[in-house]
Amino acid sequence: MPKKEKSYQEALSQLEAIVHSIENETLDVDVLSEKVKTALDLIAFCKTKLRHTEDTLRQAFDEE
Amino acid sequence: MTHLRLAELNHLIKETLDKQLEPTYWVVAEVGEMRQNSSGHCYLELVEKEGSQVSAKIKATIWCYTYQKLSRWFAAITGEELRAGMKILSHVEVKFHELYGLSLNVKDIDANFTLGERGRRRQEVIRQLIADGVMDMNKSLPLPAVPQQIAVISSPTAAGYGDFIDQLQNNRYGYSFGVHLFKAAMQGREAAESIITAMHEVYRVADQAIQPFDLLVIIRGGGTQVDLDCFDAYELASHVAQFPLPVVTGIGHERDETVVDMVAHTKMKTPTAVAEFLIGGMQQYEAQVEDYGSRIFRFAEQVVREKTYQLDSLQAQLKYAVSTQLGKSDQQLLRLKENMKQAVRLRLQTRQQQCEQLHTALKNGALSQLDKARTRLDTTARYLDLLSPEHVLRRGYTMTYVNGKPLATQQKVATGDTVTTVGRQQTLTSIVTSMEPRENA
Repeated sequence: MPKKEKSYQEALSQLEAIVHSIENETLDVDVLSEKVKTALDLIAFCKTKLRHTEDTLRQAFDEE
Repeated sequence: MTHLRLAELNHLIKETLDKQLEPTYWVVAEVGEMRQNSSGHCYLELVEKEGSQVSAKIKATIWCYTYQKLSRWFAAITGEELRAGMKILSHVEVKFHELYGLSLNVKDIDANFTLGERGRRRQEVIRQLIADGVMDMNKSLPLPAVPQQIAVISSPTAAGYGDFIDQLQNNRYGYSFGVHLFKAAMQGREAAESIITAMHEVYRVADQAIQPFDLLVIIRGGGTQVDLDCFDAYELASHVAQFPLPVVTGIGHERDETVVDMVAHTKMKTPTAVAEFLIGGMQQYEAQVEDYGSRIFRFAEQVVREKTYQLDSLQAQLKYAVSTQLGKSDQQLLRLKENMKQAVRLRLQTRQQQCEQLHTALKNGALSQLDKARTRLDTTARYLDLLSPEHVLRRGYTMTYVNGKPLATQQKVATGDTVTTVGRQQTLTSIVTSMEPRENA
């Protein structure tokens, strides 16, 4: 069983949390840059995952 | 015994029927078997059922020309082809042929009756689904954040399936989909059962898939209007309603939605529209991600701008504060210098005054001491003067020396010693003749 990948929903929730904390809390600049970096990673992850999937257009029953 | 030939009997039957029956009747019946021969004539059976038992049956014919006109009209109104199992209201002429026997000649069919009939059956199915409590079950499932792993039930050869795959593969955003086809017959008598079997298969495979399915898509060929009744069937609708994944339909038809469409999570008109819906779902997700991203970066930029501004202003403040402080210190120094100068000057003045006072005091003191000393000296001098031998002599006293030494110091004086007596006017010289000690000496 391969390690379970982060789900889209998790990624979205994390981004949402970052948006919330950035927009509603006063953050230290160091924390802020850490969060921005995390956000960048999450966005890159989502964009990549949307365009690459392991078993694209597999015809489930054609192999039988 | 009189008898008839068969032909005569049949002729009699024919005559009797012609005489006794109206030229035409409107008859309600269900279409039993039905086929079209090579010349385009349609041969069918009309039946009536009580439950599952056939209680009446008769052959019927729709002649080629009538059939062409009728079937087109029928399909246009009902959205379906005339086929077995349909309840119809037909306008018939009873015919008896000596050779072929009894049959009905169908002259017309009231499509609106069938529409109403089907509507009634549909309502029954819907009522049942509501009574089962499953009508909105599939709709209440949340759509996945991203519809990427798609289970598809379709006929693999259907044009609609090809369109669907094409649309997904060539989407303009470059999204990647995992499509898993589960084959099923999408029309004909076995369609409903075949689709249900495929759904069980999806459920079974979903358990073992590397990536779980996000959605189940049910699509159908499209093209000509064909049998859609299976999508109104209770069993299939019930399965779709209770399926654990959201179901999206693209059954491809012009008429009112089928019951399966009604219970599915989302109903699309065509397979292509389903593909667009899926692509739209991914797009929406990506847009959301991008929106969050731009909010984060916009805000971060703003914070950096603010911080830079703060730093600049702090720097300016610092500069100002330093220069002010320096200015102040300069002034303070100046003031201190001035103060010190004044203090020194004051102190010097004081000291000088003190010096002068001391000087004066010293001078005065010394002078008065001198005066005093002089006075004392004068007094002493005067006193001494009074005591001087001259002065004493002047007052009548004399000084006596024995043998050149003052008498006072001379202890032993003998007779015959020379005595010198000094007076004011003269000095006398005498010889000692006698001596007597003085009393009280």
